[in-house]
Amino acid sequence: MSDYDLERLTVLLVEDSHFIRSLLTNSLKILGVGKVVTVEHGGEAIDFLKLVHEDPMKAGVMGVDIIMSNWQMSPVDGMLLLRWVRRHKDSPDRFIPFIMISAFSSKARVHQARDMGVSEFLTKPFTIKSVCDKVLLTIESQRQFIHTGSYFGPDRRRQNIETRQEDRRKLKEGSPGVEVVRG
Amino acid sequence: MVDKVKTVVRIYKFRNRLREKCAGLGVEHAQISEEALALAEAALSEMAEDYPDWVSKEIDKLAEYQRRCIDTPEERRDYFIKIGETAHDMKGQGGTFGYPLITAFADSLYKFADEKGQMSDHDVELIKSHVDAMRAVIRGRVSGDGGEIGEQLKATLEQAIAKKAKR
Repeated sequence: MSDYDLERLTVLLVEDSHFIRSLLTNSLKILGVGKVVTVEHGGEAIDFLKLVHEDPMKAGVMGVDIIMSNWQMSPVDGMLLLRWVRRHKDSPDRFIPFIMISAFSSKARVHQARDMGVSEFLTKPFTIKSVCDKVLLTIESQRQFIHTGSYFGPDRRRQNIETRQEDRRKLKEGSPGVEVVRG
Repeated sequence: MVDKVKTVVRIYKFRNRLREKCAGLGVEHAQISEEALALAEAALSEMAEDYPDWVSKEIDKLAEYQRRCIDTPEERRDYFIKIGETAHDMKGQGGTFGYPLITAFADSLYKFADEKGQMSDHDVELIKSHVDAMRAVIRGRVSGDGGEIGEQLKATLEQAIAKKAKR
């Protein structure tokens, strides 16, 4: 099996703790990620994403491939950042993979992030293995994106599981009102 | 004539360009190199050695804020906020570096400092109890759940909190 070459990847890391920031930057670089840009909270991340879009030369990168963001930060936390990335009209790439990092990993919390369109969820405290697994998942299993009246983000159903209950999904590919965009 | 149906769901199916960028075209299976993984693990262990030093500095900061709470009671609100922020910073990663007790104490302190309205002298004392417990963990290099010492530290802190609740 061949190895991934992550040299061409740019990761935007949004983390307010200095120690964890340098820990993650270090780990990602050793894993082979070409460029890791760090900012301290969601507001700075938004400014950076806009700058990359408007003036990549000035930003120093041609694009961002993956966002990894802590949840709890001030003044702009990871959830607000995710909302902006997925829903705001100024967001330069609403499809960008987004890994949320949080020490609060209750089911309700994870669901909240999922329903805002998160790609993966990394729980603190993390290990190198868990960081690696999330990055790999992000690279390998790109899910289709779904846009409905109340949701925009990666398909929240990752598996095709038979259910004995009534299938509440009334629409599928090919149903009237469903448009498929390929690219 | 065909009725025009309004689009209510849009499905976007894109080629996985991220994977192509990392694996090249036509590569079926790839992984992150074992060698890089091992190196990253080693770097993490190295950082783990620095962890007690880093945490000690953070604990010093907490102790300083706590002292200021006593010296300048009128600025207590600001210092409570700083204490909460510092505790939040500390609690995330203790487990990774083998100090889950630091995470537990920092979490307790974070929640305590975050509660609105409490800033009495007793509350300030309780902050000191947290700081002392964390210092004991780092000084004694009490890793893991700390066994008996860990239980003792936890019990002492819980007693202090319970005492406060009674007041």
